[in-house]
Amino acid sequence: MGAQGMLEGLPEVLVILAKIFAITLPLLGVVAYLTFAERKIIGYMQVRLGPNRVGPRGWLQPIADALKLLTKEIILPSASSRFLFLLAPVLAIAPALAAWAVVPFADGMVLASVDAGVLYVLAMSSVGVYGVILAGWAANSRYAFLGAMRSAAQMISYEIAMGFALVGVLMAAGSLNLEKIVLAQQGGVLSWFWLPLAPLFVVYFVAGVAETNRAPFDVAEGESELVAGFHVEYSGMGFAVFFLAEYANMVLIAALTAVMFLGGWLSPFEGLPAEVLGVPVLGPVLGPGLHWLAAKTSLLLLLFLWLRATFPRYRYDQIMRLGWKVFIPVSLLWIVVLGLAITTRVAPWLD
Amino acid sequence: MTPVVLFYLFAGILVFAGLMVVTVRNPVHAALFLVLAFFTSAAVWMLLEAEFLSLALVLVYVGAVMVLFLFVVMMLDVQGAPLRQGFIRYLPVGALVAGVAALELYLVVGSDRLFGSQAFPLPQRAGAAYSNTQEIGAVLYTKYVYPFEIAAVILLVAIVAAIALSLRRRGDARSQRPGDQVRVRREDRVRLVAMPAEKGE
Amino acid sequence: MLDNYLPVLVFILVGILFGVGPLVAGFVIGPRRPYDEKLSPYECGFEPFGDARAPFDVRYYLVAILFILFDLEIAFLFPWAVVLDQIGLAGFLAMMVFLAILVVGFVYEWKKGALEWE
Repeated sequence: MGAQGMLEGLPEVLVILAKIFAITLPLLGVVAYLTFAERKIIGYMQVRLGPNRVGPRGWLQPIADALKLLTKEIILPSASSRFLFLLAPVLAIAPALAAWAVVPFADGMVLASVDAGVLYVLAMSSVGVYGVILAGWAANSRYAFLGAMRSAAQMISYEIAMGFALVGVLMAAGSLNLEKIVLAQQGGVLSWFWLPLAPLFVVYFVAGVAETNRAPFDVAEGESELVAGFHVEYSGMGFAVFFLAEYANMVLIAALTAVMFLGGWLSPFEGLPAEVLGVPVLGPVLGPGLHWLAAKTSLLLLLFLWLRATFPRYRYDQIMRLGWKVFIPVSLLWIVVLGLAITTRVAPWLD
Repeated sequence: MTPVVLFYLFAGILVFAGLMVVTVRNPVHAALFLVLAFFTSAAVWMLLEAEFLSLALVLVYVGAVMVLFLFVVMMLDVQGAPLRQGFIRYLPVGALVAGVAALELYLVVGSDRLFGSQAFPLPQRAGAAYSNTQEIGAVLYTKYVYPFEIAAVILLVAIVAAIALSLRRRGDARSQRPGDQVRVRREDRVRLVAMPAEKGE
Repeated sequence: MLDNYLPVLVFILVGILFGVGPLVAGFVIGPRRPYDEKLSPYECGFEPFGDARAPFDVRYYLVAILFILFDLEIAFLFPWAVVLDQIGLAGFLAMMVFLAILVVGFVYEWKKGALEWE
């Protein structure tokens, strides 16, 4: 114990740190290029070119953006509570990153295979509200305050729907551990949980879109009415950290949806004969692995962008109605149906 | 990193946060220190291997109860001054309550027989396969089903009370009802009136 | 079990660093030329009308209270969902009674119009 005990644990902590950076640094890269992809893809959907000036075909745009934000002044509004104003972005990004600790990337490839993984993820995403509330209050600006209250109420409303959807996943998998949840979906596309849990799949993903305050649920920032919502007063890196947190949350929701409903790292072509899987390049590609999780996550992220390009913004009362009056009854009903199926053992895919 | 070192770290932060909650002037800061206190007590519970309760503490208290506290504290806009006025007047009552609480704590924690380290030895370190949530689930819905249903009734009372106390209809709110707008028929809006053509002269 | 949570703890600390680091970098690298107009809260070019921290519609409190109650309900559902195949019909019915009681509350909430935003 004491100093010696600390030293003994040191190499272990260094290994953990190395692993954490192996997760966060690529994640930040994904986030940076997600912003680029968003502008590019929505550009093409609207028959525009999107950013194409910085670097070949605009590929250096995110780097230019980051550098620009880095060299801008961080304005501390005179009426604000300075400490809380600076604390808010930290509280927004820390849970968005920390939730990745329990996400399984491939078989055995997870930083912390904790037993209560789903509960941990839900707890972390509920902590994310603080960044928004504090940002709005600390800035002491009307627009920021209004935006913060709106998005806080929206986030907590959709968190309930998300929680209920997760209960369904737990019932089907019989475990809170995300690795075990993926392993419970073995057996090809039709055994993934999107099929038996179809309503919950939709509820979870749409609630995820609302939870991250993305279009069409972006009333919190609604440019035309609230300027930018809770982060109006932020500039430079303060704004950048909020931006990172929002996109990191999007990637997180997409990855979690893939893990819980689309079989995570499992291959859709499960049950291929061993000869096929033995083929040099084709085998590993068709077999399970990190690349399938990446592909599914990317597909869901594309859906995020597509939603933004397609749908007009919901009205606030419509958003609250969808969360409370549609999603909660639907997911509750499906939980009861699932519970009946499991106790009477009529559902073959839920062992 | 032994759990003991971590325990003293978290316990220290917890005590500090608790002190700040009652001494800090700004109510929003106090609420945030309470969040910190809940978070570190969740960490202490985790050290006791109460995995489910620890995460539930973060989920319910940090993620929900404190959000409500913040809503209230932020919007009531209580400034420090009026809160301090009655300090001397309430001091005797406060001291009495604190004294009783301290005595009770001493009786419970101080006596080795009832709650000391002999009665509750350090828990066995559970293996990696141990599932705290399953252990809770196995007894909560079978052995303790009666208290569990009572919890539902208490929640129901809370829902009804919250609505009864805080729901106020606003008379002056104007909103669109797209359903009504769509449902409208021509007859409701347009009336064709037969008018005899007026003759000149 | 605790070994599993050490990485989680470290990750939370790293997450905080990822928030603090950019802010510090921004303060070091970015310029710092404040003046009154720049530091005043944005209000469409007007001088701000007093303090922005005004009292708010009580409906937001109601949503927050209801959120706490439903969050608790979810916390009760989690262990149940995990052990459902072990506790049998009695365990299933116990939860159905629990949900039925709470659905009464939900219906009350709905009928009273607590979920309407006008």
